[in-house]
Amino acid sequence: MSNVIECNNLTHYYGKKMVYENLNIHVREGSILGLLGKNGAGKTTTINILNGFLQPRSGECLIYNENTQHLTPKTKARIGFLIEGHVQYAFMNIHQIEKFYAGFYPNWKREPYWELMKKLKVLPTQKISSMSCGQRSQVALGLILAQDPDLLILDDFSMGLDPGYRRLFIDYLREYAKAANKTIFTTSHIIQDMERLIDDVLIMDYNRVLAQKPVKEFMTTFKQFNFELLNADLELKKEKFIVNLEKVKNQIELYTYDSEEVVLNYLASNGIGYTNFRKVEMTLEDAFIGLTGKY
Amino acid sequence: MWKSILYKEWLKLRWIILISTALGIMAVGSLFLNVQHDFLFMGAMTYWYNTLFLGVQYFHLLKYVPLVIGIAIGVAQYFPETVNKRIKLSFHLPINENKILLLMMLCGTTTLLVSFGSMFLLFWGLSAHFFPQEIVYGAIVSVTPWFLSGFVIYFFISLIVMEPVWKYWILYGLIGYAFIGLYLEPSTTGGYEPVVLKFALLTVLLSLSSLFSAYRFRKGEM
Amino acid sequence: MVRISRYILVLTAIIGSAVALPNLYWTIMEKPVNSPYVMYSIIDKGYMIQRSTPAIVRQDTKGNSYTREEYEKKLPMMFYMQLASSGTMPDSINGVEMDMHALRKARSTYRYQPKVRDSPQPGLYPLFESESGRVNLEMPNDFFRIQDWMVFIDAKSNSVDEAKSNLFTAVLTKRGFEFPARIIAGLPTTRKSCDEGYLVSDAKEQLFHLKMVKGKPYVKKVALPDNLSFKWIECVDFSNKLYYAYLISAANEVYVLFQDTYELLKLPVTGFNPDVDELKIYGDFFNYNVIIDGESYLKNITLDNKFNKVDEYAEKWETKYQRTEGKIFGAIFPFELSLKSDNSRYIDFRIKYSENFYWILLSLLFVGAEIYWIKRMKNGIMDHLADLLIIAVTGIFGFIAVNIFQNKFFK
Repeated sequence: MSNVIECNNLTHYYGKKMVYENLNIHVREGSILGLLGKNGAGKTTTINILNGFLQPRSGECLIYNENTQHLTPKTKARIGFLIEGHVQYAFMNIHQIEKFYAGFYPNWKREPYWELMKKLKVLPTQKISSMSCGQRSQVALGLILAQDPDLLILDDFSMGLDPGYRRLFIDYLREYAKAANKTIFTTSHIIQDMERLIDDVLIMDYNRVLAQKPVKEFMTTFKQFNFELLNADLELKKEKFIVNLEKVKNQIELYTYDSEEVVLNYLASNGIGYTNFRKVEMTLEDAFIGLTGKY
Repeated sequence: MWKSILYKEWLKLRWIILISTALGIMAVGSLFLNVQHDFLFMGAMTYWYNTLFLGVQYFHLLKYVPLVIGIAIGVAQYFPETVNKRIKLSFHLPINENKILLLMMLCGTTTLLVSFGSMFLLFWGLSAHFFPQEIVYGAIVSVTPWFLSGFVIYFFISLIVMEPVWKYWILYGLIGYAFIGLYLEPSTTGGYEPVVLKFALLTVLLSLSSLFSAYRFRKGEM
Repeated sequence: MVRISRYILVLTAIIGSAVALPNLYWTIMEKPVNSPYVMYSIIDKGYMIQRSTPAIVRQDTKGNSYTREEYEKKLPMMFYMQLASSGTMPDSINGVEMDMHALRKARSTYRYQPKVRDSPQPGLYPLFESESGRVNLEMPNDFFRIQDWMVFIDAKSNSVDEAKSNLFTAVLTKRGFEFPARIIAGLPTTRKSCDEGYLVSDAKEQLFHLKMVKGKPYVKKVALPDNLSFKWIECVDFSNKLYYAYLISAANEVYVLFQDTYELLKLPVTGFNPDVDELKIYGDFFNYNVIIDGESYLKNITLDNKFNKVDEYAEKWETKYQRTEGKIFGAIFPFELSLKSDNSRYIDFRIKYSENFYWILLSLLFVGAEIYWIKRMKNGIMDHLADLLIIAVTGIFGFIAVNIFQNKFFK
């Protein structure tokens, strides 16, 4: 399977502040990749580079083997783009905007758009600017579905959506993508529900990539162990196998890619007294927080 | 595809075309209502005399009208593109980015041409009705740079609105202020004769200005 | 395309700053350069000079200073009213008895300005009835132009008076007039003592006197010596009714055209450049003070009342560009651009180059700064070669322009 997106040795700075160095991203055709990170971790920077709105300090991004700074119209037609906040031409109503976009894409599919619009309960003359955030997200999604692109780039689509709309958006999208073998690159800082959507996860923290792998693999190899220290004052040394350690009084949360055995061995060999040792099942959100830390 | 772009520009501009053209025509009309009034009270001969020998400019009220219309159309067309950086949507359309910008510029320029053209023709026609060719010629030479200034400010607005770094808005604004000032330099009637064509050429060249700041936007200057 | 757009904006910025910055500089730095006021004294048979900067000083050419009263006494033809009211007017000068009426009648003032000539001309003029039998002149109902023919246009109807036009055209043609007119000179105002119509130079540079007498055309061809043609004619209306007009020939000589005899007399005036110099002619009972007033020089050629040269005085001073503030100006700005000129009412791009070459140092400094900046940003000099060239040639203007419209392109 070939890569639809390929970013090689991406390095970018804002002035002297490093965003990241030598970042490599690959998105396989037909896969759904979620780029997760806290605010300021470089999600928007990456999206901007992917869309050709930012020249990286060095390195390059290719989409369908074309440099993203000089995409040909033909390739641009294959990419659906959702701007953060579902930005659209808000001075249009849903009829005008459909008419506008239809002119650009020969394979324009009106039906999925109008199917979504029917559920919206908006007036035909109502401008998009006067719609709710959720309604706007449906308009933006409908336009992308009608464009029927091969690659969808969605920048923080969950922003401002209430849970119902978010769930609706995700389910609609996943079903659509899997049925037609679409590739999706999406970012989000809300992790809830993302498990339902993505195949691969790319977790970024300031200046670095914390994890880049299939969600399933990530969720099975990344583990959380909780226990209580007998001596609350004991400070645990952060060994190499420990990815993250959170301590509140004598309550310990320990995150690792290694097995339960390694953890128990470590506790035994260092003579650390503990009780109530248990493995905790995590959601993707738990794992994200475990990996990136609460702060 | 160009039809769709035209459609979008039309949605943004349709009201402003009507309003600005109507206001422009009213401005021209009011000039000549004054002329007619003064003809009645002081006599045509005196009015001609004052125009020819005393430097009276019956059209001086027209000076800033094209400038105001240029600003209105520039803002109406480019401001909605930059709210929430919506211009990204345009650059993502399957057309070359510069082609889109030039199409947008052509739409705005056509709007200005329609608005200014109708004003200009009305001005010319009514001038020729009231005045001999010498006065008409001087008046046309005098108002042409004012109309050109409307185009120049429109191009400068497209430049400034697309610019991603706010500090440069001020710098571009200063350059625009200094440059547009040239078109509005006070002068005797007909005094612009040697420079009208040069101004026209510079104005045509400036039509490309939005390409520059839009390119900076695409490159992610900040 | 984007590069072209950038260079257009750079050009715009250079034009804008080359107008605005020098203008700003002069607004702050310019000091007045007042030319002296030089008049011939019939008492001293020499020149009296009044300077107004920094303080008013009145001197003769030997350097003696005078009070205001003394100065006025030296110039009795100029200040005769003041002298008469203070009772200090001499009874006779040079053996001629002073008659106030005769003094007043002999007075005349004329001022030529280059910008009046280099300006849009009306093209339409009112032709007054010169023998209406009325005391006051009356504005006619029409204006005339002389293009392919002489046309009268009625103002009220904005239409041609065919009969009148045909009549005047026929007479002009009969007198040998070649259409169209090159120069039409007259006094198109009712505020004059009487009407003498217009002096018209035709397509073949022949000179005609044209007026309307009792509704009929009066056209007189003025005999001109060979190869004499005029670039400017200005009619006058002086009390002594001695001559119709001052005329400036193609060779920059100054003539007067005598009334009734149509005799042309060349005044002994040399060194007058009508493109840049003002010309003032003050006539009085004894003399004509013909003053050529340039940007950095003044010449008073004094004639007697028969137009023979009596004396001459000349003086030069530094232009603003030759003074300290002008030298600093020349070191900062390689040139200045202005749309206006003191010598023209037309708007045009006028470029004035620096009179020294110190600005090259500043240009090189700017080029150096730009190269330093390019290196710091780790950009290639070759990509910025055109910018560096622009800065080298246009100095501060180019430096501002290329840095406002920055040369940043995708690699």
